[in-house]
Amino acid sequence: MLFRKNKQSGSQVQEEKSLYPVLHVADSLKAYQRELVKKEVASLGELSRVGDSFSGVLKEGDHFQAKLQDLGDSFSNISKTAGQFGEVRGEIGQSVSEARGQMVALEETFTQVQKSYDAMTETFSNLEAAIKEIQQSLGKIVSIAEQTNILAINASIEAARAGAEGRSFAVVAAQVKELAGEIKELAGEVEGSVTDVETRANQLNQNMGDSQQSLDQSTSIVSRTEESFEKIIAVSEGAMSVQNEIAGVISVSQQELSALRQFFDRIKDQYQEVVKHIGSASRLGTTKSAMFEDMDNMISQIPPLIKDFEGKP
Amino acid sequence: MKQFFGMSQRGSLDEALQGLHQPQFIMLLSNNDQFEAHVAALEKRFPGVPSIGCIGMSYQTGIVEKGVGIIAFYDGVTAAANVLEQISKMPVRYIQRLEQDMQAVGGSSNDTVCIDFCSGNDACVLTTIYTVLSKRGISLMGGTGDQGRVSANGRVYQDAVAYGLIRNQNGRVKTYKENIYHQLGDYRFIASDTDRANYILGSLNGKSAKQVYKDILHVTDEEILTRTFQNPFGKLNGDDTCIISIKEVHGNALACFRQVNDSDVLILLELGDYQAIVQETIRQIKQDFPRRSAIFSVNCLFRYKLFSEHGYMQSYLRDMSALGNHAGFVGYGEHYNNRFVNQSMTCVVFE
Repeated sequence: MLFRKNKQSGSQVQEEKSLYPVLHVADSLKAYQRELVKKEVASLGELSRVGDSFSGVLKEGDHFQAKLQDLGDSFSNISKTAGQFGEVRGEIGQSVSEARGQMVALEETFTQVQKSYDAMTETFSNLEAAIKEIQQSLGKIVSIAEQTNILAINASIEAARAGAEGRSFAVVAAQVKELAGEIKELAGEVEGSVTDVETRANQLNQNMGDSQQSLDQSTSIVSRTEESFEKIIAVSEGAMSVQNEIAGVISVSQQELSALRQFFDRIKDQYQEVVKHIGSASRLGTTKSAMFEDMDNMISQIPPLIKDFEGKP
Repeated sequence: MKQFFGMSQRGSLDEALQGLHQPQFIMLLSNNDQFEAHVAALEKRFPGVPSIGCIGMSYQTGIVEKGVGIIAFYDGVTAAANVLEQISKMPVRYIQRLEQDMQAVGGSSNDTVCIDFCSGNDACVLTTIYTVLSKRGISLMGGTGDQGRVSANGRVYQDAVAYGLIRNQNGRVKTYKENIYHQLGDYRFIASDTDRANYILGSLNGKSAKQVYKDILHVTDEEILTRTFQNPFGKLNGDDTCIISIKEVHGNALACFRQVNDSDVLILLELGDYQAIVQETIRQIKQDFPRRSAIFSVNCLFRYKLFSEHGYMQSYLRDMSALGNHAGFVGYGEHYNNRFVNQSMTCVVFE
């Protein structure tokens, strides 16, 4: 036991004098350093791939945002088109309004024409009455002429009875008779003319009736046109309502799109923050690489130092 | 403080040192053949003055390609220089040197800067150095020299980083990094199957790195090497981008001029309006520092080649000289705090 103890003591003395444990530590540190470097290579590779992936995500994000922008532009275009539609509707309304104004003027003209027709009808009635009075007067004239003729015949008869003394009277009676005949003939001509006037007046009356009927029809058409205009206005107002609804939907969509873009902006900010951290981690990695080199440079000097200390070549 | 620049296209150190008196910190930019001799001669000429050096081209208003250039600070700086060795394995073994120099120089983030010339394993070196500098918030700028050799305080080292801690006694200091590239497309890759020791980039997002590069830019294997001037990779580090140049095709992988790690996040870059970007840097420096004592910069070799091919290098130096006393060297990689980058310009401005 003592022998063994003595042997152990001798061995321990030898170990204490040796710097082998330091060498062993240096070797171990070196091995750890190598392992650490391998891990660092793997970590940096992984970090690089993460960075690449995030760069890809950012690119896709940019692409997506561009698409969102396009979509936003489309909405703007729709809104603009809807606005143009509104303008067209306004123009229609204005045109309808102008047309309605003109229709009112036309209606007023019709009214004036109607009044003129009424006045003409009254005048025509007066004319008819005057014609009848003329006809009655002509009848009286013809009657007077016939009586005058009878008187002339009677005077001729009386003149013939009177003989020579009544010859001059007979001449007068013949002239009176001739005059009465001419009056009768003239009255007949006048009556013919009056009848002609009456016939043409009746034709005029007929034409006026036709014109009035046409006027009534036109007035009716104007009336219906007015209704059409009102319908157009109503439809236009309806279209306005639809346009407002479209604009409302677009507005809501744009708000939602804006919210979506803000959401992606925030995500992008977050991504960029991650990329920034990856960059920082990567930069730190590169400084670690320099430190590994420094560590390696220092550790690698330990074995030759120990060999030098121990006097080994 | 003041900055001195002396040079000799034929490699005469004496010629380069003409006019330099009582320097407080010296940087030697030499050539492969004369480096050791220049280091020794410089130490002999100015013994005890903190100095660092490397093999590389220097510039002020013109380029010194194969001669020697001297950039020195004097009249108002506190400086210390030293070296961390065995940087391919364990630069941290010498970290106490830097901590002691920090204590000696004092200073803070506002008035002190660390300038380094490194021979390789830059990322590990910068990580190690920055564990100390970051405690006081002191900035670092520097670059990689040629031929795997640097010097500090009169001695040449291999597999080492030479550093100088410079404290401006009369004003502020600030470092800048200029990137003349911007992101191409929105490609983003996670690196894997990397070999950090050999700067191999195996896969991007699990696919052959070479094929990914070819497919995007429609280039052949042969065209990949020259295409890096136009389209290097960018390694993301927080908000900063570190440029990674492509060195060569390695099977289905790409070998780079900078370590790439599993889990690094890379992007593809393309050359921007570099003249406008340079003017913007100048404007920014003028805004930050209405009064400037000196500007020391490191320009990538690839930038030097690109600017030279475009006939802009001389104009560039002329533009930068508008800032005042500007000098620097052409590096094989640029250092900015704990970041090792390619195809960039880093500089420190002294108030």
